[in-house]
Amino acid sequence: MASRREFLAGTAAAGLGLGLGGVPVSGYEGGGSGAGGGSVAGRPSSLQTVARAPRSLRILFLGGTGFLGPAQVEYALARGHTVTLFNRGRTDPDLFPGVETVFGDRATSDYAALAGRQWDAVLDNSANVAPWVVDSTRVLKDAVGRYLYVSSISAHSDNSILGQDENGPVFSQEDYDQAIASGASPGAAFGPHKAQAERETFKAFGDRGIVVRPGLIVGPRDRSDRFTYWPVRIDRGGEVLAPGDGTDWAQIVDVRDLGQFMVHLVEEGASGTFNATGPEAPLTMAGMLYGIRAITSTPVTFTWVDSDFLREQKVGAWMEMPVWVYPEPDTRGFSAYDCSRAIAAGLRFRPLADTARDTLEWWKARPEAERATMRTGVAPEKEKAILEAWHARNG
Amino acid sequence: MELKRRDFLRAAALAGGGLSLGGLRAPGAGQERSPRPRRILILGGTGFIGPHQVAYARERGHTLTLFNRGRTAPELFPNIEQLRGDRATGELGELGGGREWDAVIDNSATDPRWVREAAQLLKDRAGQYIFISTQSTYVSRAEIGIEETAPVGRPDLPKAEWTGYGPSKALSEEEAQNAFPGRATIVRPSLIVGPGDETDRWTYWPVRVHRGGEMAVPGTPQDPMQFIDARDLSEWLIRLAEDGTAGVFNAVGPEAPLTSAEMLYGIRAVTSQPVSFTWVDADFLAEQGVRAWSDMPAWQPPRGRTAGFARMSNARALAAGLTFRPLAVTARDTLEWFLSQPPERQGALKAGLTPERERYLLAAWKVRGSGAEEAR
Repeated sequence: MASRREFLAGTAAAGLGLGLGGVPVSGYEGGGSGAGGGSVAGRPSSLQTVARAPRSLRILFLGGTGFLGPAQVEYALARGHTVTLFNRGRTDPDLFPGVETVFGDRATSDYAALAGRQWDAVLDNSANVAPWVVDSTRVLKDAVGRYLYVSSISAHSDNSILGQDENGPVFSQEDYDQAIASGASPGAAFGPHKAQAERETFKAFGDRGIVVRPGLIVGPRDRSDRFTYWPVRIDRGGEVLAPGDGTDWAQIVDVRDLGQFMVHLVEEGASGTFNATGPEAPLTMAGMLYGIRAITSTPVTFTWVDSDFLREQKVGAWMEMPVWVYPEPDTRGFSAYDCSRAIAAGLRFRPLADTARDTLEWWKARPEAERATMRTGVAPEKEKAILEAWHARNG
Repeated sequence: MELKRRDFLRAAALAGGGLSLGGLRAPGAGQERSPRPRRILILGGTGFIGPHQVAYARERGHTLTLFNRGRTAPELFPNIEQLRGDRATGELGELGGGREWDAVIDNSATDPRWVREAAQLLKDRAGQYIFISTQSTYVSRAEIGIEETAPVGRPDLPKAEWTGYGPSKALSEEEAQNAFPGRATIVRPSLIVGPGDETDRWTYWPVRVHRGGEMAVPGTPQDPMQFIDARDLSEWLIRLAEDGTAGVFNAVGPEAPLTSAEMLYGIRAVTSQPVSFTWVDADFLAEQGVRAWSDMPAWQPPRGRTAGFARMSNARALAAGLTFRPLAVTARDTLEWFLSQPPERQGALKAGLTPERERYLLAAWKVRGSGAEEAR
């Protein structure tokens, strides 16, 4: 409990305002807002209102101190589960001081600290290369009940498909073998590695295996800034360069919704694969940006600049225009995944205003030096130049 | 759950809970005590916007007197001085004598006689007269960016023949100016919205969005929208009293122009409910007998006589310190307030389309959109 309080204190200091209490965002606790009873923004999901799980589980987290891990761990603790973290002890080692942490290193296949132990479930957050999962599933096969592997929507190999579900094509064994043979870096072969790791998970665990494929994970503590740019930019006000015509799809999932969903899956003894991004009803870029606008009082206007012009101006999708990709035949399904299986299994989405506000408040509480180096988004001078060029062209 | 929510709302209303970003307050509308404590007389004070004025004025350390009939929510402010009377019958006795106030806020007058009587009675004993008027005073709203100097009332008629809401309010403004030359503050709000609004004229949108599904929404995504949160208005009125600011002001929000798409997606952002918007063209709405404003709340087609309806200038008010809460705060608080009402109240929305009418409208719109009409 000491650890949890400290975590809460930390996040409260970071401006999350968890103390406001009120309507729980996710419906897992029973009685909360399930599908068909959407929740209302402004009541951050106070974990103080989370009911304890009917059965306390022993859960092992591989990683656990990055971006997604803390959201899972915090919820697992609130549900009354017993938590063990396995990591190198390098990333945020003081995050959960009261929680058992055992040390090892997946890069060197050092799992000695797990020997002789048993858990009801493991959440594997930290494997971006398939060989790590080969080793960890071998070590844990007879020591844990369920193995949940955090994969990625990038395991899917064909983004030309609109509305594909878990059965859509993924990178194959051959794709993976080729990537390895060609000496591709893990980063370059991210999708093939994730797909291969999924196969390794099921090979070892069969129907005790769970694979979750998140889309873009966003929210407070996201150090990638891949969504954060938008709340920060909109809060700065003025004329905002917005990509396309506003009708391109946007899919994101709040890290806390995702983390809670994963704990929920192991509580429920789920099996199989889940595409996990949001929100429930399709969201356009306009819907997302206008929704973010609603959390600030700053005067702001949006100028939608068409994608051909953005290409001429050498604006990069995704990193310079976060969440967005150029609408091409081979990318049109990139933000149009069907997550109905996950929703049926309990994935719930907090209101966009909560995600945007919490992200912005977290950002504002970051040290000056970190805020000075936003990792994404078009630079202010470039944005200004593009807007000027766009207006000049359009008279 | 229901009780808990009501309790929470009450606590939040008192303690200023809510979206902590910018707080329950608009930027600049601090809760700290004013360096200039005032004696403020509020005429009315127990309706929709009055209680917000009272709450904010108390936090800012002002001394308040309420004058009203004692009929609307008389128990609302047990610790505030209350004078009784009735403007309809001219019973202003309790405002007589030698009492002095720094400012009077007149919330409750549509009849110019009411303003004349109160303002004349108080002109030598009050520093400033703040009259809550309306956008309806303007002769025309066909122009874009109408400022406070635009003509009001019915210039085509002698003043003795001015009747109806807008012209009466225009005459009332004049009464305030006559009694308090250079010391009158005329505030003309657009649609006032937020928790506690019994008209449902904006509440419909958050409530409808929260119901989810496919929504019929009016006009085009670019149509302009203007409105003002009752709390932003009320807090600013108190600051006008603190500063002794005189003049005429359009009180419309938000600060930057807001489109209908921005408003609706902004409201969508406060719920998790799956919802989609179908914009139905203004001509088709008219053809179907769907009325702007009442059936499609807060909206007027931005053309012809109503071209400037939601494009009024607010430059003067901004310069005089009007600030705005984030839309998400207004939307969420309005929705939560509505959801805390008794079921019979929730079942009887006073504005907007009924679900049946909306379904029919959407079906009709799609038949037309599909070209079936041309095929016939």
